[in-house]
Amino acid sequence: MTGFESFVGVNPWTALFTFCNMLITFAVLKHFLFKPVKQMIDDRQQEIDTMYADAAQAKQKAAALEEEYQEHLKSIKAEQDAMLRDATIRAQKREEEILDAARSEAQAIRTAAEAEMAQERKKAVNDLKNEIGGIAVEIASKVVEREINKSDHQALIDEFIRNVGDAS
Amino acid sequence: MNGPKIYYTIPLFGGIPITQTIVSSFVVMVCLCIAGILLGRHLEKRPSRRQVLVEKGVSMLYGMVEDTMGKHNAYWTPYIGALFLSSMCGSYIGMTGIFRSATADLSTTLTWALMTSFLCWGCSIRANGFVGWLKGFTEPIVVMTPMNLVSEIAQPISMAFRHFGNIAGGGVLTSLLYTALATASAALLGLLGKSIPVSVVVLAAGVALLVSGLQKKKMPRKILGIVFIATGVLTLLGLGGVPYLEVGIPGILSLYFDVFSGGVQALVFSLLTTVYVGNACPAPEEA
Repeated sequence: MTGFESFVGVNPWTALFTFCNMLITFAVLKHFLFKPVKQMIDDRQQEIDTMYADAAQAKQKAAALEEEYQEHLKSIKAEQDAMLRDATIRAQKREEEILDAARSEAQAIRTAAEAEMAQERKKAVNDLKNEIGGIAVEIASKVVEREINKSDHQALIDEFIRNVGDAS
Repeated sequence: MNGPKIYYTIPLFGGIPITQTIVSSFVVMVCLCIAGILLGRHLEKRPSRRQVLVEKGVSMLYGMVEDTMGKHNAYWTPYIGALFLSSMCGSYIGMTGIFRSATADLSTTLTWALMTSFLCWGCSIRANGFVGWLKGFTEPIVVMTPMNLVSEIAQPISMAFRHFGNIAGGGVLTSLLYTALATASAALLGLLGKSIPVSVVVLAAGVALLVSGLQKKKMPRKILGIVFIATGVLTLLGLGGVPYLEVGIPGILSLYFDVFSGGVQALVFSLLTTVYVGNACPAPEEA
């Protein structure tokens, strides 16, 4: 049967079909077009945001690292200076120590030499005394030309020499 | 002017008429689904030219919906988009000449308008509860209840008739114009056909106008000259029944009544839907 519907009228079947068609269109478009496209846009946006955030973070990190290195370099320099100063001070101290040691050793050697000298001198004096005594006795015996009491003369000569030694 | 033609009546449930509107809306649905599936395929992070356009359209739609309804209502965009596209294509399908505009049928627009209303009521009930929704009719004062009820009923009716009237009215005007132009051309040719010298004069005037229009590059003179020549030639040949004035003029009017009106009505309908549903779905500020 063909014919025409009224110009202004509502056909419930047409309405029902329209409703179903609308729902199908909505479902299909949502599932196949809007959802994936929106998802893609959001994903990309998120990726871009992440990339920017990462870049900012990396920049910040780099700046921090640079600062750290600068600090490190400064500390190394300070350490170097301290070490140098320390070494200089130590070297000076050591120098003084060595000098002191040398000086005291020299002093000791000198003292020992002086003591030895004094002793040598004393010994020489004693030897001389004895010899002079012997010579004197010999001379005296020759002068007197007789054997006198040797012990008496010895006492006399010793006294004489002591006097001489005291006088000299 | 007739309503939609009934192609066939399925002998079920007391007869289901298959009308032009049903066919058109089915075709629109199929086309939109195929286009949607084709456009939504092969999405890449680095978009192709097609994908850029699709994304532009989708994000524009999302932006529009978010501006009107607020960010929390962005999930309504697919429905609004489907409604907009169905409405626009449902209007434009009438321009093919094979199908009748689906939106030139009150059944279609009223269904969509009622869907909008039901969505509003559903949102209101979801937001305020059933009692809260009923109580909403008594605001701001109890006396306003009948007014509120009337406005609630009038809303889908006004939406439906606005869309239907614009598209159907455009169709009516176009067919009226065709009839008028056919009558006018018949009358003109009948008038001139009575005497051969007059038609020769008209033909000569047409040639003169056309030549002068070609020399001075004046578009109106060229068109007028062609019309005069056609009139003279048709009169001399004795062809009184050719509706030659129908060439060209209806196309310009169709640009307004079909293209512009169809787009604007689709926009208005979907915008009104966003506004109504958006009002029914307030921002969840307390939550």
